[in-house]
Amino acid sequence: MDDWKPSSLIKPFGARKKRSWYLTWKYKLTNQRALRRFCQTGAVLFLLVTVIVNIKLILDTRRAISEANGDSEPEQDYDEALGRLEPSRRRGSGPRRVLDVEVYSSRSKVYVAVDGTTVLEDEAREQGRGIHVIVLNQATGHVMAKRVFDTYSPHEDEAMVLFLNMVAPGRVLICTVKDEGSFHLKDTAKALLRSLGSQAGPALGWRDTWAFVGRKGGPVLGEKHSKSPALSSWGDPVLLKTDVPLSSAEEAECHWADTELNRRRRRFCSKVEGYGSVCSCKDPTPIEFSPDPLPDNKVLNVPVAVIAGNRPNYLYRMLRSLLSAQGVSPQMITVFIDGYYEEPMDVVALFGLRGIQHTPISIKNARVSQHYKASLTATFNLFPEARFAVVLEEDLDIAVDFFSFLSQSIHLLEEDDSLYCISAWNDQGYEHTAEDPALLYRVETMPGLGWVLRKSLYKEELEPKWPTPEKLWDWDMWMRMPEQRRGRECIIPDVSRSYHFGIVGLNMNGYFHEAYFKKHKFNTVPGVQLRNVDSLKKEAYEAEIHRLLSEAEVLDHSKNPCEDSFLPDTEGHTYVAFIRMEKDDDFITWTQLAKCLHIWDLDVRGNHRGLWRLFRKKNHFLVVGVPASPYSVKKPPSIIPIFLEPPPKEEGAPGAAEQT
Amino acid sequence: MSRINKNVILALLTLTSSAFLLFQLYYYKHYISAKNGAGVSKSKGNRIGFDSTQWRAVKKFVMLTSSQNVPVFLIDPLILELINKDFEQVKNISHGSTSECKFFCVPRDFTAFALRYHLWKNEEGWFRTAENMGFQCLKVESKDPRLDGIDSLSGTEIPLHYICRLANHAIHLVVFHERSGNYLWHGHLRLKGRVDRKFVPFRKLQFGRYPGAFDRPELQQITVDGLEVLIPKDPVHFLEEIPHSRFIECRYKEARAFFQQYLDDNTVEAMAFQKSAKELLQLAARTLKKLGVRFWLSSGTCLGWYRQCNIIPYSKDVDLGIFIQDYKSDIISAFQDVGLPLKHKFGKVEDSLELSFQGKDDVKLDIFFFYEETDHMWNGGTQAKTGKKFKYLFPKFTLCWTEFVDMKIHVPCETIDYIEANYGKTWKIPVKTWDWKRSPPNVRPNGVWPISEWDEVIQLY
Repeated sequence: MDDWKPSSLIKPFGARKKRSWYLTWKYKLTNQRALRRFCQTGAVLFLLVTVIVNIKLILDTRRAISEANGDSEPEQDYDEALGRLEPSRRRGSGPRRVLDVEVYSSRSKVYVAVDGTTVLEDEAREQGRGIHVIVLNQATGHVMAKRVFDTYSPHEDEAMVLFLNMVAPGRVLICTVKDEGSFHLKDTAKALLRSLGSQAGPALGWRDTWAFVGRKGGPVLGEKHSKSPALSSWGDPVLLKTDVPLSSAEEAECHWADTELNRRRRRFCSKVEGYGSVCSCKDPTPIEFSPDPLPDNKVLNVPVAVIAGNRPNYLYRMLRSLLSAQGVSPQMITVFIDGYYEEPMDVVALFGLRGIQHTPISIKNARVSQHYKASLTATFNLFPEARFAVVLEEDLDIAVDFFSFLSQSIHLLEEDDSLYCISAWNDQGYEHTAEDPALLYRVETMPGLGWVLRKSLYKEELEPKWPTPEKLWDWDMWMRMPEQRRGRECIIPDVSRSYHFGIVGLNMNGYFHEAYFKKHKFNTVPGVQLRNVDSLKKEAYEAEIHRLLSEAEVLDHSKNPCEDSFLPDTEGHTYVAFIRMEKDDDFITWTQLAKCLHIWDLDVRGNHRGLWRLFRKKNHFLVVGVPASPYSVKKPPSIIPIFLEPPPKEEGAPGAAEQT
Repeated sequence: MSRINKNVILALLTLTSSAFLLFQLYYYKHYISAKNGAGVSKSKGNRIGFDSTQWRAVKKFVMLTSSQNVPVFLIDPLILELINKDFEQVKNISHGSTSECKFFCVPRDFTAFALRYHLWKNEEGWFRTAENMGFQCLKVESKDPRLDGIDSLSGTEIPLHYICRLANHAIHLVVFHERSGNYLWHGHLRLKGRVDRKFVPFRKLQFGRYPGAFDRPELQQITVDGLEVLIPKDPVHFLEEIPHSRFIECRYKEARAFFQQYLDDNTVEAMAFQKSAKELLQLAARTLKKLGVRFWLSSGTCLGWYRQCNIIPYSKDVDLGIFIQDYKSDIISAFQDVGLPLKHKFGKVEDSLELSFQGKDDVKLDIFFFYEETDHMWNGGTQAKTGKKFKYLFPKFTLCWTEFVDMKIHVPCETIDYIEANYGKTWKIPVKTWDWKRSPPNVRPNGVWPISEWDEVIQLY
């Protein structure tokens, strides 16, 4: 309104016009209608002003809100840091679309260099024989997998076929031979190499050298081969230099739905290879399992420590079975990796679990033992309320009712001081010697391989005395020593709830695994109801054993116990045999018996006060050591205990007892 | 211009302008509440209804957590204080009958909630949902201190704090982690390089300036301002804990370096002593806690904690400090009741009080009482034979929590000053012969007890 008034002040200019205007105004004022007009104009003006003020207010508030949200003065450092980072990242992956790859193959040395960076170099003596395979990401050039298949030895070519089949199409494959790679390279493997487009691979001969670069399912990018001139000599070293064109990132990735799980999957699949269908574009295998929960789960809040080394494929298989077990609670799982290995950590991240890396200290067995100690201490630190911990290793399959088994039996560990552990593994539970998944035993040995540790036992007894790094002891052997075990026993099932599949290991080799682990019985039935769990308590178990022995039919001791006919062809009977056992540590006859029964014979396992319990031909079979066992009283006077002569001294089975 | 036309225009203008007027009203309200939220205007208009940004942010957050089954509980000191004042009323109010927004609409920058981490099933999913609901979240992570004590472990980082902003209000979610010693721990909110320093006014945060330790609170569900929230069952105790919750970690790395230089004593005797000293300390801590007496690790026990994160195996006793104003006459009988008879008592409450109790396996528990002067603290010593008095001077200190032998326990926050006063600059070097009357650099002669008082001030059992 103020703007309005001064107009009368500008009289001097355009006076005539103004005056006439003024006159009209004056005239109109005198008039009723003019008054109304005036009011109307005033109203219109007022409305206009309101509109303007309003618009201004809206704009102001807008700005205020956007300021508050965006924080008008962003931190200087932050912007700079971003600015600096962006272009360098682009430089790293952007313009360069070709990798130059060098592959060298010879008798004593192989190496692979990508863009001048050595990604594989092996010139160690007596090591790394066979075909080395490297998988590169076709978009980034990153090494996704590195394997060596000793195809000089049997069955390794099968592993290679398995591996190469799992590699996703489009990946860059690099192969190179060190020393010898053809002796056990069978037709299937050769056919596979042919399908990759290799010329020399299928024709690889004794001590040939060979270097190959190709895209899986796509063109061969380079190949060199040198024939060995004679049986006693090697082919000339070959050096293959080739350019590998990179493809775009979109091509290298699958188009999975954008979910939390697939984000983890994508991260995993862009980094590593050799895990098969988990990275399949069309129908990837699930990485979340959501098994049925266990009703009344007593082990829901028991932490699970998975002890791992650098065997990521094992870890992958192990975690799959663990996460599929009924009653598992993933947030209680911690994977402890011995060393700064990336790939096992990737596997852990794929399943969304907690992973902890351990800087290696000490060597060999002592290193494993120190890793165990750190892992157990960390577990109880991370879960200070836990009274128990489940200890697993990376080379175990976990039975579907593993947690159900523990949930039903864990109270024993609380109520019975004479117990040392609960283990999922029966050392003597082979296909032909285990039968009843509902049956539990008490044994004086500690089997390990999936077991429960009481916190008080660890904190008060084991941790303070744990063997120091300079003592090169196996942790499990140490735990089995009488000073530690102090006469306590472990609960085990007749049918194991874990399966030891590891072939490559510190104390492991293929032969050993085949002989002692492959035929182990493993429970696959879900929700097994354990029978009479409270009868496993110290006194109750003695009563149970006495009852069993009283019922048992005494076998014909004149027969050879190694013969199949030693046990009659019946089902569901209980039989007892008496063997000679002079003192508590006299296991001569037992060891011979174990040997001919094809069960664990490398040391004594599974005994309870001179008694062994197993199954033969679906009959419960008890073996009592006389006279050392207190159960010797059950021996009819007429029976003479069986004695088996140990064979004359010769080379025994290879290797010491496996770390279990 | 016909008149009809003019009327139409007039009507239209009136319509728009009234529409704008409505707009104006609406925006004005927003503007005010936003200003309140930012803490800019401290106007009287505090009592705004249920549409304040604070209340809406809290409501959304409560909805988010309950839909994801995340058991968060309210720890905001300001609001807990208000609830506590009005506790009876809050309890009586049934669902939805509140007419006035009394608690969550109070102007402030943050509302603090807490969560026990191991009860959090789907952290990543929660985070996504929060962002989808319009929260802007900042996550502060750090390495896990529970792995620090163990040689050479490095794990996945653990979340310490979430700060989720909605409009002008932010929810501060403090992540509590379980620690050995039956307590909850939260970490230091340390902003890393890339974080926007002005995301929220960090300085005004109630938690996170230091790491903190709390007793594990029992929870109860109440309805506040129409929202169902969990709060500590004993809000008073929790509120009391907050100002004294600062936690310091043992210096594990330095302790490892110490053991590399001086080697740990692994003999059976050393371990046996450590075990009984630990048990004695735990028993003493339990007893004093029951009495409600504040205490801290003093002398050799404190040095052991600071230097090697353990009990020094060749020390012969466990040493505790108590402020004389916290002295209670039933300390002696309480210790006797748990099987720790009084061994000797020197001084009196007014001057140089010191108590010694006989533990099992010949381990002694010494309790020194500290007296406060204007610029220092001191505790007294008495030589039984001669009646000579000594004074040990310390710079002033406050108390912090730490973890020691599986316990949450107090130590002086200014530990290094405390230890250097007592053991000098060379405290890092182990000394096996120590004369309490001569060795400490902070010992001062303090006269002699008059013989007439000896019966009272020198009591040996």
